[in-house]
Amino acid sequence: MPVTDFTREELMAVAASKEIHDGEVAIIGTGLPMIASYLAKRTHAPTVSLFFESGIIDAFPRELATGVGDFRLMSNCIKAAGLYYALSLLQGGRVDLGFLGAAEIDGYGNINSTVIGDYIKPKVRVPGSGGANDIASLAKRVVIIAAHTKRRFPEKCQYITTPGYLDGPGGRERAGLRGNGPVRVVTNLAVMGFDDQTKRMKVESLHPGVTLDDVQENTGFELLTADVVGETPIPTVEQLRLLREEIDPDGIYISRG
Amino acid sequence: MQPSSQHSKVTSAREAVASIPDGSNLTCGGFAHSLTPIALVHELIRQGKKDLDLTSMGECWAADLLTGAGLLRRARLSNYMFEGFGRCMNFSRAVQEGRIEVEDYSHFGITSRLQAAAMGVSYMPTKVMAGTDILNIKSFDDDKYKMTECPFTAEPYVAVRAIQPDVAMIHASRADTFGNAQVFGATSIIEEQARAAKRVILSVEEIVPSSEIARRPELTLLPGFMVDMVVKIPFGAHPGGMFRYYNYDDEHIGQYWTASKQADTFEQYLAEFVYGVEDRWGYLDKIGARRLMQLRADPGLGY
Repeated sequence: MPVTDFTREELMAVAASKEIHDGEVAIIGTGLPMIASYLAKRTHAPTVSLFFESGIIDAFPRELATGVGDFRLMSNCIKAAGLYYALSLLQGGRVDLGFLGAAEIDGYGNINSTVIGDYIKPKVRVPGSGGANDIASLAKRVVIIAAHTKRRFPEKCQYITTPGYLDGPGGRERAGLRGNGPVRVVTNLAVMGFDDQTKRMKVESLHPGVTLDDVQENTGFELLTADVVGETPIPTVEQLRLLREEIDPDGIYISRG
Repeated sequence: MQPSSQHSKVTSAREAVASIPDGSNLTCGGFAHSLTPIALVHELIRQGKKDLDLTSMGECWAADLLTGAGLLRRARLSNYMFEGFGRCMNFSRAVQEGRIEVEDYSHFGITSRLQAAAMGVSYMPTKVMAGTDILNIKSFDDDKYKMTECPFTAEPYVAVRAIQPDVAMIHASRADTFGNAQVFGATSIIEEQARAAKRVILSVEEIVPSSEIARRPELTLLPGFMVDMVVKIPFGAHPGGMFRYYNYDDEHIGQYWTASKQADTFEQYLAEFVYGVEDRWGYLDKIGARRLMQLRADPGLGY
């Protein structure tokens, strides 16, 4: 029996969880990345090591945490260290995958999380890099999760906080960055990747009921499309059960629609 | 010979903070809503310090309180965010209105500046921030970075310069009277901050005998010779929390955050909880025994 009763957020969590491979080391934040990571760990990636920039390695919280500094993560984890230790794991080449959010993301996967407007006296000051620049500079792969609106997907970011492919092919190499850059962007409309040659964002799969036109209309730059654009796989009964009953029973990050 | 009570570094918050001159470059401990040296920051505000610089990674509480009270001139930062609530409102407003200067780094970038000072070298090579506006756009740090290459392999690096804050204000779990300090749980960048700074002012939840410190040496983050002053301040991180002592106070953080959205409501907050009390005990009386007891950690869970 096909599952029809699921939310876009649940679909996004499942799509993001597929990016996590068993045996890897991943640096995660709170919100959907945490939900997706826990789902992966309980299904296809039981030996993935998950850690937070706050210095918490492999947490098994009894309740869902609401932040990376949350004591619920400290209370049951393999190592509670410092932030510099945690981020040095990235520079040491130990980290396969990082998850990031974005206030703005452009066609090369560059992210702005610093200012809307000028740097001096901006229209809106937003939080700033945090560990995001470090993760995007150094993790072997990066997955970005964002709400899909035209304003969030502009032709050009107002400030590049966090590197995607910078100015295009060879940009990361010229800057001397070690990580390979973003591989996937998961939104509420589609799953996207990046074209090997041009490093521009391309649509790989559409969520059920979403058309290519819908995605393009909500994007401020021209999207490429994969040779075959499929439908994003829908959650299984077991994935939904895990999300709703075990991982986020109170609907903290995944609303029940 | 063992140190005796005459070697004690214990003092009051008032005296400790009085030793900080106007115009100092501070660094304050704390990650998100934990390890926050709120009692010491409140005392800074009560004493009306001026023209402070903050060298920080993500210590949102110190940044927001100091900005909101008008003490801050410049901030080096990576990310200020009230986790679970939203942006750092006093700080954001001050930046938007051009009242304070900011210089952005990444977490690893700014902490590398502290780590260089901690290790006694003049710079640190890193592989972060390259290619982005964090490096392209400079504000007040003329020496923000230089590109360099490895003398052995010729690999390119972003070199960041060592920075030595004048004072680190740190809230730790416990210490003895000589400042041998221990922290339960994740430690943020306290170690890098304290090792980089010229002076360390430490507040702690409790002062314990040196024998108790020595019984669990693996918990010691700062040996006493790195600490200049020790202040005992129970619930000193409130409304932030201390792992194994008390959880952060969601209700009060919400009250603070709502007040911080506008200058006038924030003035009222300061009037009530900072200027309106003589010291930390006055503040704790305002929060009330009932609320503080509700926040106390479950010994099994640690929160």
